[in-house]
Amino acid sequence: MGVRSPSPGRLVWLLLLAPGAAAADEACVLCHPAERVLAAESIHASEGVGCTGCHGGDPASRDVAAAHRGGFQSLADRTGVPKSCAACHADLEQMRPYNLPVDQYAMYQTSQHGLSVAGGDERAAVCTDCHGVHDIRAPDHPRSPANPANLGATCGRCHGDRSLMERYGHDHELVERYESSVHGRAVAAGNVAAPTCVNCHGVHGATPPGVGDVGKVCGTCHVQARVAFLAGPHGTGLAAANLPECESCHSNHAIHPLDDADLGSLCAECHEGDSEAVQVGLKVRALIGAASEELDRAELLTLEAEKVPLDVEDHLARLGEARTYVTEAQTIVHAVSVEPVEEVTRRARSIGQEIQHELYSELDRTNAHIGLAIFWFYVLMTLVILFGYRRRLGRASGRR
Amino acid sequence: MNPQRKGWLDWLSERLVLTEIFSLLVSYGFFHAELDSSKPPREALAEAMARPMPSYSAWPRVLGLAAVVLIGVEIFTGGLLTFYYSPTPEGAHASAATILSEVHFGGFVHQVHYWGAQLLLAILALRVLRFFLQRVYRAPRELVWVFASLLLLVAFHAELTGRILPWTGTAYWSGVRALEVVQTIPLYGGLVSFLSGTEGAVISELTLLRFYIFHVVLLPIAMLTLIYLHFSSIRRVGLDPSKVRASASDDGVTFRQHVVNLAILLTVLVAALVTLGVLAPRGLPAGAEPYATLPGVHPPWYLLAPFGFFEITASWLPRWLAGLVLLAATTAFVLVPFWARSLERRGGRLLLMVLAGVAVAVWLALTLYGTKVA
Repeated sequence: MGVRSPSPGRLVWLLLLAPGAAAADEACVLCHPAERVLAAESIHASEGVGCTGCHGGDPASRDVAAAHRGGFQSLADRTGVPKSCAACHADLEQMRPYNLPVDQYAMYQTSQHGLSVAGGDERAAVCTDCHGVHDIRAPDHPRSPANPANLGATCGRCHGDRSLMERYGHDHELVERYESSVHGRAVAAGNVAAPTCVNCHGVHGATPPGVGDVGKVCGTCHVQARVAFLAGPHGTGLAAANLPECESCHSNHAIHPLDDADLGSLCAECHEGDSEAVQVGLKVRALIGAASEELDRAELLTLEAEKVPLDVEDHLARLGEARTYVTEAQTIVHAVSVEPVEEVTRRARSIGQEIQHELYSELDRTNAHIGLAIFWFYVLMTLVILFGYRRRLGRASGRR
Repeated sequence: MNPQRKGWLDWLSERLVLTEIFSLLVSYGFFHAELDSSKPPREALAEAMARPMPSYSAWPRVLGLAAVVLIGVEIFTGGLLTFYYSPTPEGAHASAATILSEVHFGGFVHQVHYWGAQLLLAILALRVLRFFLQRVYRAPRELVWVFASLLLLVAFHAELTGRILPWTGTAYWSGVRALEVVQTIPLYGGLVSFLSGTEGAVISELTLLRFYIFHVVLLPIAMLTLIYLHFSSIRRVGLDPSKVRASASDDGVTFRQHVVNLAILLTVLVAALVTLGVLAPRGLPAGAEPYATLPGVHPPWYLLAPFGFFEITASWLPRWLAGLVLLAATTAFVLVPFWARSLERRGGRLLLMVLAGVAVAVWLALTLYGTKVA
């Protein structure tokens, strides 16, 4: 019995399907090659989820009408997308091997996006808007729109669209402002730990935090700053006045780091120019400034010593510790009280002074100069003797 | 002298061929006459000491001898430095830091080595200048000039190979700049690339090791050979342009006085080196990072003029042609005795002096330009 050779037509689409063996048997590709190419790059393809996994239908049939029978859904109606994804992604049994959460659909339904879609709004975001349509990649893939590095652009596709946002009465410049912020710039610089849109607004349950909750959101990362803030007079005062916590000084989205130098002038924005509150700000500013300057001087001296070269590894380590104290002081500032800042900056300052003191004595060349003076004394003595001897020899030869 | 009484000199003479050792000292300018081996050594030495000095090395003509002493200092301090130095990209900077900060007197030896090299270059350059002004290139002193100028060129090479060894950022990049200049010279640039394993002015692991070998073995041997040939020529023809042969000193200075002069010279040189080392110590900048170009690093000072020349002509002169100009200028410098005389005959001494003045002015201007663009 000979080997049955495959028909030429079968060969053609076997070749076409070669990259994604998972759906090798699907005939969909004969009419939808572009979608097939995109899907071949998706994480679904590598896990064996083919066209029919989402769209249903009869993959074996090469008759157009027959292929689109049997539970086929085109998903052209966007509002049906979340439910279709949830068929697998909300199923604990199917998600268990991937250790993926199954509450995404439930959370999505609580989000502004989900609520709008449920209300029949076709423009609101569904799963495919953030994860891609056929070329769905895992969020840690660099080309995934859900990758933290791409999230600004992904959210910005809708939230930066002026005409779309105007329908909802939303500001369309939020993403732009975020990208100019300390957070946005850190993400752009490749810091994957820096917050993107979803870190404050939630991932699948995306909803803007209420005025009273902004502080809590910031506090998930800036834990110590919030603890200090709540313990201080601002914590109770702003809450009583129903004013936002962090936002009052740092704004939202376009969050810029405040310079230590801003401390006094910032206080004067709310408090009287010569009030005690402004004095506290100025005092704190002076304390942090003095500590930073002390450490700058110590660092310059360390660099100088390194060039000599002296061993400055220990000094550099202590300098790092002292810099941490200054950072701690900048956090404690949120309690708007002088004493704790004073205590921490004192530690930083004394380390800076210690390093300077040690390096000054190590860099001191007084001993070398004293040695040089003694050396020259002997050089001069030697020269005097040699010149004297030379003159005597000259006189002796002159007599001859 | 009582022939029965034997001193240490006689004791040594019975066991060593003292005249051979003595002639080695003569070859390098510490003495100026051979010992008469037919006489008892004590007597021969006393006689040599009382002989009048040849005029070319009488006080204060000390630059040549100072150069020999400095080469000796460099060999001695350099030898000490090799004990701790490691010629690998990973170990070079760390070992240099160890020498400077931990080894007893390591920093001091390093400073003396550095300043000795700078003084040596200055002295060799001054000597060539003096030979030019006193016309010590006319027959029969052609070889005196050729060896002196070659010695200066070899000393530049020794400084260049040495400056890369600590593997600091500035050393590395100034070495790269220097190689960029050298490699444009036709033939010679190719030879340097081949010998040092550099390609396109990239300094590799291999380059460091080869530069090290050049610096500690080959170039010192070349310098000692050239200085021997140079002094040998001087012993034959002297330095007095009015006389054809070497002649005795007019002021009747004896070898004994010369030895005292030598001791004075040594003392002053050592004092100068120690003072420079203590008052102007060279630090050790951060280690080299070959993938991060350090801005504002100059080529070594003696290559600033060629560097400036290449920068000025970059837009209208092909690189190889600029390199050829540099090669021609260097060759003309070494071969001064063979063209200057006919020039003098045609246009008089003034023409040559003007030409030399223009050359020096162009050199200085290009150096200034090179400093600006680097």
